[in-house]
Amino acid sequence: MKVKRLVSMGLAAVLAAGVTACGSSQDKSATEQTANENQTGTSESASAESASPESNDSESDAPITITYANFNASGGNEETLNKMYEAFHKAYPNITVKIETIAMDDYFTTMQTRIAGGTGPDCLEMNIENFGTYASQGILEELTGADTEGMNQTALQAFQYDGTQYGLPENFSTVVLVYNKDLFDKAGIDYPSDSWTRDDVDAAAEKIRALGDDIYGIYQPVTYNEFYKVAAQYGGSLLDADKTEFTINSEENVTALQSMVDRVQKTNVQPTEEQMGGMGDWDLFESGRLGMIPTGTWCFNTFKDACDFNWDICVEPGETQKATHFFANALVVNKDASAEAKAAAQKWITWLASSSDAAQIRLDAGWDLPALDDTSKLSSYLEQTPPENRQAVFDSLNDIVLPPIINDYQQMSDIITDCISKAAKGECTAKEALDDAQSQCEAAIKLK
Amino acid sequence: MAMKNKERKKIIQAIPFMLPSLVGMVLFSLLPMVIAIALSFTDWSGLGKFSFSMVSRQFIGLENYKRLLSQGEFWSAVGHVMYFVALYLPISFFFSMMVALLLNSGKKLSGLYRILYYIPVLTSWVAASLIWKWVLSSQYGVFNSILSIFGIQGPDWLTNKYWAMPGIVLASVWKDMGFYGLYIFGGLRTIDTGYYEAAQIDGAGKWVTLTRITIPLLSPTLFYCLIMSLINAFQLFPQVQIMTEGGPNGATQVPVERIYTYAFSYFKMGYAAAFSWLLFLIILVLTMVQLKAQKAWVHYEA
Amino acid sequence: MALPIQWIPHHPTLQSYRKVFSLFPFGKAILNSLFVSITFTVITVLSSSMAAFAIAKIRFKGAGAFFRMYLMSMMIPTQITLIPLFIIMSRLNLTNTYTSVISPSIFSAFSIFLLVQNLRSLPDDFMEAAKIDGASLWTIYFRVIMPMEKPVLATLVVTTFMGAWNDYLWPLVMLSDKTKMTLTLALNTLNGQYGTEYNVLMAGCLISMVPIIVVYIIAQTQMKQGITAGGVKG
Repeated sequence: MKVKRLVSMGLAAVLAAGVTACGSSQDKSATEQTANENQTGTSESASAESASPESNDSESDAPITITYANFNASGGNEETLNKMYEAFHKAYPNITVKIETIAMDDYFTTMQTRIAGGTGPDCLEMNIENFGTYASQGILEELTGADTEGMNQTALQAFQYDGTQYGLPENFSTVVLVYNKDLFDKAGIDYPSDSWTRDDVDAAAEKIRALGDDIYGIYQPVTYNEFYKVAAQYGGSLLDADKTEFTINSEENVTALQSMVDRVQKTNVQPTEEQMGGMGDWDLFESGRLGMIPTGTWCFNTFKDACDFNWDICVEPGETQKATHFFANALVVNKDASAEAKAAAQKWITWLASSSDAAQIRLDAGWDLPALDDTSKLSSYLEQTPPENRQAVFDSLNDIVLPPIINDYQQMSDIITDCISKAAKGECTAKEALDDAQSQCEAAIKLK
Repeated sequence: MAMKNKERKKIIQAIPFMLPSLVGMVLFSLLPMVIAIALSFTDWSGLGKFSFSMVSRQFIGLENYKRLLSQGEFWSAVGHVMYFVALYLPISFFFSMMVALLLNSGKKLSGLYRILYYIPVLTSWVAASLIWKWVLSSQYGVFNSILSIFGIQGPDWLTNKYWAMPGIVLASVWKDMGFYGLYIFGGLRTIDTGYYEAAQIDGAGKWVTLTRITIPLLSPTLFYCLIMSLINAFQLFPQVQIMTEGGPNGATQVPVERIYTYAFSYFKMGYAAAFSWLLFLIILVLTMVQLKAQKAWVHYEA
Repeated sequence: MALPIQWIPHHPTLQSYRKVFSLFPFGKAILNSLFVSITFTVITVLSSSMAAFAIAKIRFKGAGAFFRMYLMSMMIPTQITLIPLFIIMSRLNLTNTYTSVISPSIFSAFSIFLLVQNLRSLPDDFMEAAKIDGASLWTIYFRVIMPMEKPVLATLVVTTFMGAWNDYLWPLVMLSDKTKMTLTLALNTLNGQYGTEYNVLMAGCLISMVPIIVVYIIAQTQMKQGITAGGVKG
């Protein structure tokens, strides 16, 4: 008996130790925690000031408890969100918000199930991909009581459906080109700049690829998300202007896909799936064996801790035009909630999205960027390094391409990813892949 | 008349024993199934509040079933899972039996072994899938490193469309052999040792003991494992979702993975429900065949 | 994750474990999980063994039909009955209660099937002998059948407890109140939208394995006893 217990404990210890070691590079908690602590004092005094004018109109309301579900705070930012709520509750003492944080993986399954049972939360967080579908099903409340002043207009527009405002932009992130400065130095080439095109990227990638057998120039996965952006960089798009027809196999799109595939198949500046061997793209960059990676601004904290080389960012190069990714989460109100809850929920999400207190707490925690119009309010974000060139995050906003939202968004994205990954493996040509995607989408999805 | 009374008495006696599970079945299994059948005749998206009036409003008859049967996707998903079952069942059975016999051998080794073999069962599929993604990684994976010692160049397991499913089978056998092994072991333990004593007196050898005593007396448990692994294997899902997400090129797209995707990502709940019922029919037919076939090899007492 | 994979850490540390305990009310989550899993297991074992006894040993007319119906209930993917079952729970006003998480334990086709198969391989003479002695069916069930079934019941306890302990989606959907969170739910909040601290997550997963291993080790001692230990026949 004793022996068995010892053995099992030993085994657990060995397993645990191995696993602990694998993951240690991603430990970003320490920095975040200190950031939180430094922050507490200022945010509280700030909220005390703003409390007086706003609390006037809410004092007449009866106390109410609402529920709010989100996924974005999962994985380390629950404390930050609680801090925001405390500031909110000071300004609106009558409104109590019960916050529920659920990991992204099962968040939407849970929401869908609860809404079907008629017990969904009063307000909730949405990602941009699911927003359109939820809005189209008539389960979101039109936001009439929200003051949208000061919110980022692009983000605000992204959360309209048929001209109606159903969501408020909570935060945003852009995708930039992250590059390994040391590898550029080694190859003796200039760092990427905002004036670069994809051709410049290819040329640099080839020089970096020449540095070693297991060193690669760039990693831009041949997936749906990258593809609709690169297509836009060549002047193409997946849908026609009024979203009534698919234009997946247009000439521009074929050229765009060809350029993505060539990096894998022809010049091999980008590793094939086999060469990756199940490794993640961030891991490849962190190991110092990747020259460039277009990736989201949410990588900064991780890269800061994990990379023992110099790196920086710039606006992602385009081709005939620039096109950069833009991601945002929306705050929406459940149509099924009671009238009182809906009114209170609108106050909470408006505060969360646009109050300067919420913005400051968010920034100080290094969580993500509040979707405010006035980027000067975000100046403290620019002061943190690395990367040196944080300004590129905002400059990227000038050329954003929004995902082509349709009701069957996920299905379209799966079909396209499936088809173009065949091209990436060299199993078919770019043209064949896109023809296939076009006909599959036309067969499976009805556009308006 | 006497017979009838006896039967009636038996039923009355059985009612209190059956009642808890029966209530549970009606509430938590039968009713949801009835709702799921109703959904399969609608074009409900699954997004939005459910109401019974919705079912009649969005009724589309057999449309979902017609579309499913006319689409290649359904048949290829069924084909993939059949391939999985054909590989998984015999391999998993063999290893489970080995586990059980080793556990039952009573040797010193089995103490440590009892914990070791059960670790995979105790790990969640999330952790297990992550581990297997590393193990099967073509370049850095443990599995191919071991193969290379013997001069074998291992395949690109999870990224090659011919090798992805065998990779999933490997992980599944590893995870499940302790599970079924434990049941078979439990079954071995309920065999009356008197039979073995009698066999020993008769001078029966090991092989004869195994085939004439152990296997027949174990056959109800083995049958249980067969049916359960058949039903479970056809509903293959979490390992696929985490390890390959149905890829590469849809080579590991299986029915439940499709059902989940249609229900919760494509928002076609009606279609997903119809898919589930077709899968149900396939499993039902195969299980019925097994129930009929058991008469040939499963021995029950009394 | 440095590559190639480092199986043996350079700097072994308990940091991740400390962090797990600091992130959420860990003790409370463990207590919640223990409550849910133990209740779940007790109900399943009782209700399933009763049903199995009726089907395999009372052998009433229609037992076969019930048996087949129970089997059929396993053939429909739970992914598609998730929403219907939730709808039933919310109509019963049971959302956000432990009752909704625990009550499905009362019907476990998988356990009934296991026990029926096992009982069928037990000779009937035990029962007949007890009947002649004037024992009621309940006495036979508790005093004769249950002890004889110990090894298989022990396996059932392990798997049921493990299933309840690791169950994720169902409690997630049902329980929205933070204070009711089970350990698996709490652990999952460590997953981020764009990345996860795997070391902390794995540390949490390992801690969560401990109770299952304990149950398993306790059950082991029961499994090792053969039928003769019951001392019924000899």
